[in-house]
Parts: sequence; structure tokens; C-alpha cells
Amino acid sequence: MTGGDWLTLDVTASTEAWHRFHGLNRASIGGTASYKHKFGLGYAAPGISLALAGSHDNYRSAIRDSDSLEARAELGQRFNEAFDASLGAVFDRRYARSDLPVVPGMSGRVFDMHGKSAFVRAGYALTEQLQAGANFAVRRGDVVSTTRQHREIFLESDAIAADPAFGDDFFAYRLRGTSTTRTTAVTLSWALSNRSSVNFRYADERTSAYEGLDYRGRIAALSFAFNY
Amino acid sequence: MRICKLLLASVLGLAFAAGPAHAQSAEIAATVIDQQGRPVVDAVLVAVPVDGNLRSRERPRAGSIDQVDKEFLPRVTVVPVGASVTFPNHDDVRHQVYSFSPAKRFELPLYAGVPAQPIIFDKPGVVVLGCNVHDWMVGYIYVSESPFFAKTGKDGKAVLTELPLRAYVVRVWHPQLEMSEEATQKTIDVAHDRRIEATWTLKLKQEVRVRRAPTADRGRSKY
Repeated sequence: MTGGDWLTLDVTASTEAWHRFHGLNRASIGGTASYKHKFGLGYAAPGISLALAGSHDNYRSAIRDSDSLEARAELGQRFNEAFDASLGAVFDRRYARSDLPVVPGMSGRVFDMHGKSAFVRAGYALTEQLQAGANFAVRRGDVVSTTRQHREIFLESDAIAADPAFGDDFFAYRLRGTSTTRTTAVTLSWALSNRSSVNFRYADERTSAYEGLDYRGRIAALSFAFNY
Repeated sequence: MRICKLLLASVLGLAFAAGPAHAQSAEIAATVIDQQGRPVVDAVLVAVPVDGNLRSRERPRAGSIDQVDKEFLPRVTVVPVGASVTFPNHDDVRHQVYSFSPAKRFELPLYAGVPAQPIIFDKPGVVVLGCNVHDWMVGYIYVSESPFFAKTGKDGKAVLTELPLRAYVVRVWHPQLEMSEEATQKTIDVAHDRRIEATWTLKLKQEVRVRRAPTADRGRSKY
């Protein structure tokens, strides 16, 4: 009995609508090529997957419109019909489309950024329809945030651009390279059919940048997933 | 004229010989329900003659289990020992069908269309099928040592037909059966009755399958 290798090509279309900050609304189209190897037969055989994903992300915002690339390696196993877990690493790269500087001599490509992450995740089917999940990720890389004029922050930044998504007097800025973000998330997924589900995700993000520059974000998201 | 009479006598003799063979068979009309009284679909009924004579009926020894929309179709198949089964893939993706079951261990490496060679099921027992690519896919082949078998439909009913007139041990199997298959056994004598109705009440466990629906906790997140 042997394992298996296969290559999958996916086309993905997604959209995101924000409750308060409509400038963060996004529509994306992209594709993923993934190679998977299973070390044996059966759902309990561990497997490794390597995926390369690319997308174009349209925010209707010159500073956020971008193209993204992500390379992901994941080692996972299903332990029984209900429980599976995996760990992996991700390299992400985002290419901003426009350079709109507001400070002479400083880049306006705030969303031109990259990072490296490690993650662990697990999923457990509570019932036939309901699946709970948890994941934890640590990302090291560029961080973008938005503030009103703030001299100390701007001195630590290497890109700044006006960010009307949060208001007329707000500026997005990028802290290059050395920021660490820890994300803890829990998820609930309700299967509507074999091909679709409604998903809730709550994430707590804590970022440590330079001294004194710490960020905390909490994001609740409701999404609909459809697999054709 | 004598030849004609002889021929007529021969034809009548054949008809007489053929008549009792058909008339000498009986059937068992089975109803399978769960503990809540709901009909049980895909329950397999097997009748084994008490005298051990299994040679009185021939059943087709070829079968086919399709893969349609990333599921095995039918989900439960009953075949006699020695049957050859093909696994045509009607999906536009490849499948890798396998079984770990003691009754038959096999693997069909990743394929599209119809595999060149069928699989021969030469031992009685239950063969659980899976696909290594699509973990939620599960199917069952019940390989029966007896040629007298049937499978219930959505109404929970099945008829064991063409049973020679004798006593049988009839048992029921189902993928979610919580009790042992032996615990379902009933001895039914059709030596004198052409049709006997019998009902089985099964204790079934909840089906647990790998989830197929997509989740949103994988992949990228951006904002």
C-alpha cells in the first residue's frame, strides 16, 4: 500500500465587507497551485502540502490595491473522522500598485510588504454540521497601521501615505521588517451543504514593533464559503 | 403421427419438470426499521440455508461501483464471493480507491475513467472503501458467502427471492449497526410457506464521516 501525490489548481474569488470602515472592503481574484503528498493510505495518513497562491486585491483605494503572493508549507494529520491538526510556515509578499508619497523622500507604497509566519491549527467536528477550530500564528515582518499625525511613529516608519479609509486626517505607515504579530483565532463553521458553509472567526492580534509601539486588534468576521 | 405425439409428450414433460422448480421457491419479505420505527435504507439481508446447501442459485458475479460527484454510488453494494467489481470514475478529478478491510485489501492508484482490471472479492465479509484524495468518500461492499441476499430501499423493505423450500438463518448488516451481525439472526423456515414476512429492528449508531463542506479557517487572511 502506497501513499499518493497530487497537484491541485484552484481559482478563488473572495470579497470582504467591513462594518464601519468601508475603505477596507475588498474584492479579490486569484489562484492556488498546491502539491500534496500523503505518507500512506487513508484519512489518518499524515500529509504534507506545498502551495503557491497569487491574487489581485481590489480595495478601490490607490494605496491598498495590490497583488499578493503567498508560499505555504503545511504538515498535517487527521487523527479520526472528527479531529485534524496541522502546523506550517508561510511566506507572504504583497506588492502595492501605487506610490502616493506624502512625505518628500519617503515611499508612499505602504502596502508593499512581506513577512514570514509559523502556525498551528486544529479542527474538531462537534456535529455533522458544526466544526470548531483554533489556530495560533506568529508572524515576523512588515506591519502597517494607521494613525493621525504622530511624529515619533513617523520617524520609525519607512513608508507613509494618506489613508482616507479611516478619515481625512489619517495616515497609513509601515514599520519595516522586525515586527512580531501573534494571532490567536477561534472559528466555528456551519455546513449548509457539501459545498457551502457559514463561518465565524474571532481573532486576537497582538503586535510588538519598536519599543513602545505595541498594537492590539480584535476582529470578528462572518463569512460564507462555497466550493465548486 | 407417433413422432408428433412423442414430441408433444416431451414438451409437456419439460414443462412439468420446469413448473415445479419455479413453484418450489419461496420468498422472505423483509422490513428493516430502526429503534424509532424509521425505515432503514441500505441494510443487507443474507439468508444462509440451515442445511448448508448454497449451490442452488447462481448470482451475477460482476458489479460496478461508480464515483459520482466525489461519492461512491451506490454507497452499499452486495456481491457474492468471487465477484469482480469495477470502479468507474465519472468525476473530472482523479480518485485513489483503497480498502484496508481483512476481507479485501487493495489499492487503485490515482486514476481517471475506468481502471483496466476489476477487483475480485474472493473472501466473505465487509469491505470498507475509501478515497485517498477525498477523505469523506466512504463506501461498503458486502461480500456474501450465500447467493441469497437483498438490500433494503428507502422504504426499508427488501425481498429475498427464489429461495428453495427449506429453513434459513437470515441476518442483517448495516454500516451503522451497533449490535453484532449475529445478534440479528432469525431462523425462518420456508419449507411450507411460499412467502413469509419478517421485521428487523436495528440499533444503529450515529454516522460519523469526515466533513466535506469547506471551512474558512485555512488560507490567507488580509486586511
